Amino acid sequence: MSQVQLDSELPNRRIKAGRNLHLKKFIEDCKRFIITQKIGFVSLLIILIVVAVAIIAPIIAPFDPISQDRAAFLAAPNSQHVMGTDDLGRDVFSRLVYGSRISLLVGIVTVVISIILGTLIGMISGYFGGIVDMIIQRIMDAIMSVPALILALFIAALLGPAIQNVIIALVIIEVPRFSRIVRGEMLRIRESNFVEASRSVGASSFRIIMKHGLPNMMAPIIVMASLAFGQTIIAEASLSFLGIGTPPPNPSWGLMLSDASMYMESAPWLVLFPGLALSILVLAFNLFGDALRDFLDPKMS
Amino acid sequence: MIEYIVRRLIFGIFVLLIMTAFIFIIMRAVPGDVVTLQLANSGATAEQMDALKAEMGLDKSVLGQLIDWIKDAVQGNLGNSLWSGQQVSEIILDRLPVTIQLAVMSIVLAIIIGIPIGVISAVKQNTFIDHFLKVISIGGLSIPNFWLGLILLTVLSLALNWIPPLGYQSFMENPFVNMQQMFLPAICLAITLSASIVRMTRSAVLEVLHSEFIRTVRAKGAKEGIVIFKHALRNSLVSVITLIGLQIGYLLGGTVVLESIFALPGLGSLIFESVLVRDYPIVQSTVLVFGAMFLLVNLVVDVMYGWVDPRIRAK
Repeated sequence: MSQVQLDSELPNRRIKAGRNLHLKKFIEDCKRFIITQKIGFVSLLIILIVVAVAIIAPIIAPFDPISQDRAAFLAAPNSQHVMGTDDLGRDVFSRLVYGSRISLLVGIVTVVISIILGTLIGMISGYFGGIVDMIIQRIMDAIMSVPALILALFIAALLGPAIQNVIIALVIIEVPRFSRIVRGEMLRIRESNFVEASRSVGASSFRIIMKHGLPNMMAPIIVMASLAFGQTIIAEASLSFLGIGTPPPNPSWGLMLSDASMYMESAPWLVLFPGLALSILVLAFNLFGDALRDFLDPKMS
Repeated sequence: MIEYIVRRLIFGIFVLLIMTAFIFIIMRAVPGDVVTLQLANSGATAEQMDALKAEMGLDKSVLGQLIDWIKDAVQGNLGNSLWSGQQVSEIILDRLPVTIQLAVMSIVLAIIIGIPIGVISAVKQNTFIDHFLKVISIGGLSIPNFWLGLILLTVLSLALNWIPPLGYQSFMENPFVNMQQMFLPAICLAITLSASIVRMTRSAVLEVLHSEFIRTVRAKGAKEGIVIFKHALRNSLVSVITLIGLQIGYLLGGTVVLESIFALPGLGSLIFESVLVRDYPIVQSTVLVFGAMFLLVNLVVDVMYGWVDPRIRAK
């Protein structure tokens, strides 16, 4: 009886030890990242602050982002409305705070779905090669041959203004880019010695992909994801600016800029703040992605 | 070389065909068509609407419509606008020059801004100046170009009381007015592009500066200026040209928003206007023209490699 227990506990203990080792290595990597990539670390902090703001938006925002105050429309920044009010008397600061939710939501959902679909397609394409690869790659070529924003505009406009439609449009744009990277990595890994070794001991295709393919392409995917985040947030803002993205009265930053463009001279603060917020968030993602690339692939810098 | 170009062209046409089918299917899969939109409030009966749809060829199957369209397109007939009835090819040719001028101006401006800053960054590698320029250039990548456009317009109108002249005039008609209208949007597009040129130039120049032959050049006693401008910069041109090819998609996409802000009658604003009213023939053809421009620019880029770098030509 006790013998059996011991036997069944042993592998468990080993897995736990392995996990601890991973955790330790991760913490050490983080320390090294903070020391060697100071700009990247500051960017990460900015991103985390924006995430925090988005989560506790109801606590931070002094006003309801949608409720209108006809008595105080187009008010310049003052002690009550720190960033002024818009043409319908809505508090700009509160809208900005709630707007971070839209930018981050569109960014996260788009990037996660794109990574999953892109990785899947890229792996299938890279692993099987031949005719499968040919067909998939030509479709990806076709999607990528149309400028991203134009394709997004086309799809979003056809589907109608709604957040989920913006996400669908952006996913269609991002998937080929991820799949291209994954396919390239897959082709490289397929030729490597360790994959050949595991094939020679009889490992299945599925096992080779999961065990050797995925872990080896995490670095390029993570870097790409960080940069795609920035692009996606700008794309959402552009579509909303054109009036075919997030529908009003949602406080999307792009939509706020679109409203503001009519009051450029009488209320310039309306143009200033949403664009600033947008630029800082995208800048943080780009700098973080850049730092990650330097960190994960020292050959590049 | 010619064989290579022909092969690339055939490949490009193939890609455009797939794109056409893709666009066709999406457009027809989405509810709402031009007839319903046009006659929504006119009180037309269902029969009248069906008759109009049949006249426009919208009653056939998607595949049938696709084949019809390709047949006509091959003969140079892109159909008529469903709203104005004007020939699509005419509308597009009318608007194409605006977008091309905007794109060319942006690329030239981006090169003028980007390459010198990239070289300075590389020469001053890992100094304060380098880090500063790095943040600035990534900053340029992060600013949405339409916001830049709005800010420029706001500042100029508030500080100098100046706004771009209204009513578009082409360069041939009035170069002075045209330049005033085109310069701001071109700068907005150029800033993002120049930011990536800075990054690319920097790493390319660094790579060359660390190579063996530069050591030889230095050993011969060449001045630093000659080392950088004659050798390092020239060798990094290939990567900068590649980058422009890759970024042309971004550039063409950016024209949509900027043409809308600055009221320029180009292809970007055309596709935006048409997509809102479901003018199928125009949208379809415009997306394809954008795709074709993208493929063509990249073909030119690949051909230019050989011209800039004789080593590639030899292969």
